[in-house]
Amino acid sequence: MSYSTFNKNQINPLKEPMFFGNSVNVARYDQQKHSVFEKLIEKQISFFWRPEEVDVSRDRVDFQALTESEKHIFISNLKYQTLLDSVQGRSPNIALLPIVSIPELETWIETWSFFETIHSRSYTHILRNLFTDPSEVFEDIVINEEIQKRANDISQYYDDLIFYTQLWQTHGEGEWEVDGEMHTVNMRELKKKLFLCINSVNALEAVRFYVSFACTFAFAERDLMEGNSKIIRLIARDENLHLVSTQQIINLWQYGQDDPEMKEIAEELREEALQIFMNAVEQEKQWAHYLFRNGSMIGLNEEMLCQYVEYIANMRMEAIGFDAPFKQRSNPLPWMNKYLVSDNVQVAPQEAEITSYLVGQIDSEVSASDLGDFEL
Amino acid sequence: MSQVFKVKVNGQHQLTVDASQGNTLLEALEQAGLEPHYHCRNGFCGACRVQLTSGDVTYINDPLAFIRPGDCLACCCVPASDIEINQ
Repeated sequence: MSYSTFNKNQINPLKEPMFFGNSVNVARYDQQKHSVFEKLIEKQISFFWRPEEVDVSRDRVDFQALTESEKHIFISNLKYQTLLDSVQGRSPNIALLPIVSIPELETWIETWSFFETIHSRSYTHILRNLFTDPSEVFEDIVINEEIQKRANDISQYYDDLIFYTQLWQTHGEGEWEVDGEMHTVNMRELKKKLFLCINSVNALEAVRFYVSFACTFAFAERDLMEGNSKIIRLIARDENLHLVSTQQIINLWQYGQDDPEMKEIAEELREEALQIFMNAVEQEKQWAHYLFRNGSMIGLNEEMLCQYVEYIANMRMEAIGFDAPFKQRSNPLPWMNKYLVSDNVQVAPQEAEITSYLVGQIDSEVSASDLGDFEL
Repeated sequence: MSQVFKVKVNGQHQLTVDASQGNTLLEALEQAGLEPHYHCRNGFCGACRVQLTSGDVTYINDPLAFIRPGDCLACCCVPASDIEINQ
């Protein structure tokens, strides 16, 4: 069935599943099947920020004073994050928009991807400030073997879903030969690919960012690279929100609150989903090893970082119904929390210490009792 | 009606929380020196998730994270009865 940008059939979006139902026609948000996505959109929009608002000019001086091993840690993390956000800035749109069936989720996906592009822009903002010509750093992202390994794992589930969706939309269900390879396309297969894709994205948002976050905040603890750390705090806040959305999707499926077939698939592919998560954790630990191969930095070493990955993975896995697989139950990097508290994120001076600063917000409801203290 | 409830943590610590004070369960746990997990303190990251084994809680802020049956988010709720939690 081919995709239409405006489905002319009369459909009731309240009865549609999240994915693989009728495609969305009217973008209406007055009624929602899963209202949480509407709330996520509102929250995300209230978090709007621009990288240029953050002054990173002092970071250049700090960067020059870093040791070679510290420079390696800092730049490698930026490269890895650039990769992650390059993927996340486009893939949810390309993979999920053609198959989404409810308007609030469709708009959430667009909002989510848009914020990932802000993150990508901020890496350019940081790098342009550190190097006269940041080309070398960007170019290494597609050459560097360590980053390549991760890129494969991150993009393969997206690519698979995109390819099968394209086959389904152009040829329909059946057996199709493409470049000498046979592909079986049916709804069950498509839904399985979707399930694995969302689990892989969930693992990405849940643990993949946190090794670099920890390094950035470890620099900030020493009053170094503070402009960069301010930006990463904003990114961490957004990523947390994105993680909530994938956790919501997975849980809605698991509890049969959406497509009943997805509930079956969630049970059928439980082990595979677990493996996706465990692989991501393992890769992050290897990344920590790569970062510290030339020496560690003050306040952080490979072991602590791996413990933190385990600690955060336990938490994230419990959120989607897995048992916590690691022993690490206490937070090995307690100072991380102060950078992750949403209310402490400073967006602009007038917005300090508040979560969502709404421009021109007024209280339009005034009752007589509000004026009770007035005396004439 | 009294808003003072007993909170039992991991079957051992016990504290009393006055739900009318506007302190969240997370803040109450911190004041009792229990070092609960947290990140965003705003109901969306889910880091403060604890198991609610008995009793009820009321959410004073709308949580965005999915709350699985038998769990509660300490950063945005107050006890609505005597409760028992595991963290």
